[in-house]
Amino acid sequence: MKKSLSAQLSITIVSLILGLALAAQFKNVQRVGGNVSLQRTQELTRQVQKLEQENEALEARIQEYEERVKEFENAIKSEGQSNKLIYEELERTKMLAGLVDLQGPGVVVTVNVKYVNEWGQDAIVQNVRYDDLLKLVNELNAAGAEAIAINDERIIATTEIRNAGDYIVINTNRYSAPFEIKAIGNPDTLEAALKLLGGVADDLGVYLQINIKRVDNIRIPEYRGTFQYKFAKPVQDASAKS
Amino acid sequence: MKIRKDLLILSFMAMLLSFFIVKCFDNQRIGYDIGFTTSVQKIQELMSQLKELESVNRQLKDDLNQKEAELHKYEEEATGRIYRGEEIRKQLEQARILAGLTDLEGPGVEVILNDRKKDTILPSEAYSISDFIVHDIDLLEVVNELKAAGAEAIAINGTRILATSRISCGGPTITVGQDQRFTPPFIIHAIGDPDALADYFKQPDSIYHMLTFYGLEFSIKKLDNVKIPRYYGEVNFEYARPVEGGE
Repeated sequence: MKKSLSAQLSITIVSLILGLALAAQFKNVQRVGGNVSLQRTQELTRQVQKLEQENEALEARIQEYEERVKEFENAIKSEGQSNKLIYEELERTKMLAGLVDLQGPGVVVTVNVKYVNEWGQDAIVQNVRYDDLLKLVNELNAAGAEAIAINDERIIATTEIRNAGDYIVINTNRYSAPFEIKAIGNPDTLEAALKLLGGVADDLGVYLQINIKRVDNIRIPEYRGTFQYKFAKPVQDASAKS
Repeated sequence: MKIRKDLLILSFMAMLLSFFIVKCFDNQRIGYDIGFTTSVQKIQELMSQLKELESVNRQLKDDLNQKEAELHKYEEEATGRIYRGEEIRKQLEQARILAGLTDLEGPGVEVILNDRKKDTILPSEAYSISDFIVHDIDLLEVVNELKAAGAEAIAINGTRILATSRISCGGPTITVGQDQRFTPPFIIHAIGDPDALADYFKQPDSIYHMLTFYGLEFSIKKLDNVKIPRYYGEVNFEYARPVEGGE
């Protein structure tokens, strides 16, 4: 009798512990189940961040427009004033679009082929490729460049940099090495971004001759190509937008 | 004999117990990212937050359009009173389109880029996993090719591409424009001649062949009407200023 009691007792204790273990196990399983949605959570968080940013930007824009409407309201009394506002707005927008010559501090990057002495003869290691320029422009943009031109060809929103035989086509015009990239922006940031250890300049420097020079004042010409919007039309009905 | 039976039960129990204990520890070890996992509650919270932000977003866009219409009315009035005012208004409109300050629509293409599906990667290939994911340079190339094919406006996941837009990677996300981060799939919209845009990727040196060779998803769809939103962010010129006496 005594023996069976102790056995029962021990079984009870063991099953109690077992129950605990089971509970812990299930809890873990549940948490692991949450693991699957980790990606989903990240995605949602990112969407939330994106919308927060966009809403902030929208608020700033609305405020800006409100101010300008007010300026117009004030200017309506004197005709000369409203003219001035229009010209100012045109100038500002053209600046954004790349239709104005700009000047300011920045960097000048020259990209040329590298010659190596091979048996007393100069040989080109590799030609400058379009994606070399593409990477440089992208890096400058990431470092906050406000305006960029390659061989005085202004980079605008629709500018392509593509290979065409031995040439590189920029804004439908053909160029070949050497290339001179001018960028307006904070010279320190621009230079540092390119010269980053293992950065673009290091990468391309293996087979190209790359020179980065800071300048106090450079001039970047306006976009001189033609632009025709054959396909794109402004969305007229604002309420129909998604 | 009776004692032996008890012992059998006990040992069985103990075995089970140890099994579960081991399992528990095992789980904790394997699921080292368990600290980052979130509950359903968190997701619901995010969803409702997102919903709220979306409705605010819609409201703000409406407000912006309203203000813009008001401003345009003033501008029209002002240009109506000045010499060659109509021309100036046209210039202004064109510059706005070029600067990415206008919502645009027109025929074009939709390009979807995505990482290769995990279950299609053979174990023998797995060592070069980096070949199977979309990189910033891939996006840059695709956008560049669309531009070369004559795209008039481009957006990645709804973010308008400007002259100063960068496409750079930061870990698993790719930053487009100023500070918009995206994960795959990347949906690229472009307005232009749909045939010219789509056929450009058939060129032998197109990035299309390289990416599809590695099994990445790369689909091109011609569309009759693509809507591309304006750039909503702030564009500031801190360093650049117009050249005096210039046009």
